Amino acid sequence: MSDSIAQAATAVNGSFSDRARTPRSGLTAATLALTRDLRLAFRKRGQLIQPLVFFAIVTTLFPLAISPELSRLRDVAPGVLWVAALLSSQLALEFLFRDDAQDGTLEQYALSGQSLSGLLFAKTSAHWLLTGLPLALMAPLAGLSLGVPVGAVPGIVASVAVGSVALSLIGSMGAALTLGVKRSGALLSLLTLPLAMPVLIFGARATELAIKGESYGAPLELLGAVAVLGITLAPLATAAAVRVNLE
Amino acid sequence: MAWTWFHRLGSPPYIYSLAGRLTPWFAWPAALLMVGGLYGGLILAPPDYQQGDGFRIIYVHAPTAWMSLMVYTTMAVSAAIGLIWRIKVSHAVAASCAPIGASFTLCALVTGSLWGAPMWGTYWEWDPRLTSELILLFLYLGYMGLRSAMEDVQRADRASAVLAIVGVVNVPIIHFSVTWWNSLHQAPSVMKFDRPNLPASMLMPLLMMLLGFTLFFVAILLVRLRGEVLSRERTASWIREALSPPMSDRSVSGKPISGVRP
Amino acid sequence: MSGLAEFFDMGGYAGYVWPSYILTFIVVVLNIVWARRLLAKSREDARRRLAMRPGGEET
Repeated sequence: MSDSIAQAATAVNGSFSDRARTPRSGLTAATLALTRDLRLAFRKRGQLIQPLVFFAIVTTLFPLAISPELSRLRDVAPGVLWVAALLSSQLALEFLFRDDAQDGTLEQYALSGQSLSGLLFAKTSAHWLLTGLPLALMAPLAGLSLGVPVGAVPGIVASVAVGSVALSLIGSMGAALTLGVKRSGALLSLLTLPLAMPVLIFGARATELAIKGESYGAPLELLGAVAVLGITLAPLATAAAVRVNLE
Repeated sequence: MAWTWFHRLGSPPYIYSLAGRLTPWFAWPAALLMVGGLYGGLILAPPDYQQGDGFRIIYVHAPTAWMSLMVYTTMAVSAAIGLIWRIKVSHAVAASCAPIGASFTLCALVTGSLWGAPMWGTYWEWDPRLTSELILLFLYLGYMGLRSAMEDVQRADRASAVLAIVGVVNVPIIHFSVTWWNSLHQAPSVMKFDRPNLPASMLMPLLMMLLGFTLFFVAILLVRLRGEVLSRERTASWIREALSPPMSDRSVSGKPISGVRP
Repeated sequence: MSGLAEFFDMGGYAGYVWPSYILTFIVVVLNIVWARRLLAKSREDARRRLAMRPGGEET
């Protein structure tokens, strides 16, 4: 652990002990947790691009499996992009809490006196910045390879960006619940995917409208609503689940 | 006074014996109502002017769909009670609900599909109600999967409780999906709370089936609960006493089906 | 007799109505069987555990 990481951990811990918990100290703690996660992730740059590579490979599989005809691909593009994004974001979820649970950082977070849901929200935000956002930027490229018109690009970026926020939040709940389970991959999917289905439905719909050149505001707003709902509620459930698994 | 009774409900030995005593009180009325509803629905009720005799599937589809939602809600509520007040018996109730709910959700999906095929022309449609009911099935399976994946029973209880509570948001979605979205599924005709559209001869058997299935659920829940409570109380002293009368029909109750005695 | 045949025909919907009823019946029966088996197994396990402790120690 480098000095700065150790400092961050101590600062999170120390920012509470004798003083009353203030909103400002909570924000500081969350920001520290976020930057810590980002810094740690950038150390293993190889792992960072894995979800993106996976996304690229999966979207390549469909033209091979379905048909190389662009007109046909364009029809299935919304679904392909979204299923691939969903699965790629799933991939990174297993590791969201794993390392911290193993080295005791998660326990420190829980004991720190700071809002655990705030800290976990910070970690989930880091996950989104590292996975969801890059996916949103990559999705148009994959879309173009599937015959999607250039005019659809903003719509695709917007829908995947917003949708992946919800996906990260939903996924964080699943990851927290399966903390104590070895080889939790399949179970994690079973828990996360059902709740992620509305995101898939709205997101694919928004992408489809964008591809057709129509206004995609309505499903995008619904996506946003799900994301906001997730932001308000998911961290609470995630914190509860982490606490259960730390006992 | 009421508080002591509530407190006793949290005690495993009390629940074990109470559940055993209560089961026949739910099982027999359930059987009667289900048979009565069957007779009323299959024979007495006239054919529908639009759907002919095909509408009779409602007498199994509606109760099983109702069950899928009601059981999940029961599961979520008792899981929440167990989580908040740390009552083990409450967790046992939640655990007992899940397999019942899952089987009836599957049944609701299949009977609904069989009803939809001749009426809507398709066995399946990804409309909001069907999709969210399918999600409900996955939630049940996820709940059961999470429980079985965690070795420590207490942790499994609490983790699955969080999952159950998170998933309960799906229940109102399923129920209101037909009013919120333009959907293949028909608008509610019984749960409208003002004047149901169905004539009495069709409505009565439906209500009988709904009530009968509900009582059936309670009866099955009570049996499962006893098994669940017993397996959690490793070698507590009360077990010796509870088991010592030889295993009679009275303590493992259930209703005989079609004259088949246990 | 034609009344009975008509009944089974369900106005032509027999292929949908009867499988639905049969499936529901099976699910109902399965629940009963499953629940009773669970209880019987728990009782059996509890008996075995108690038998392994001849002194009948309390937990």
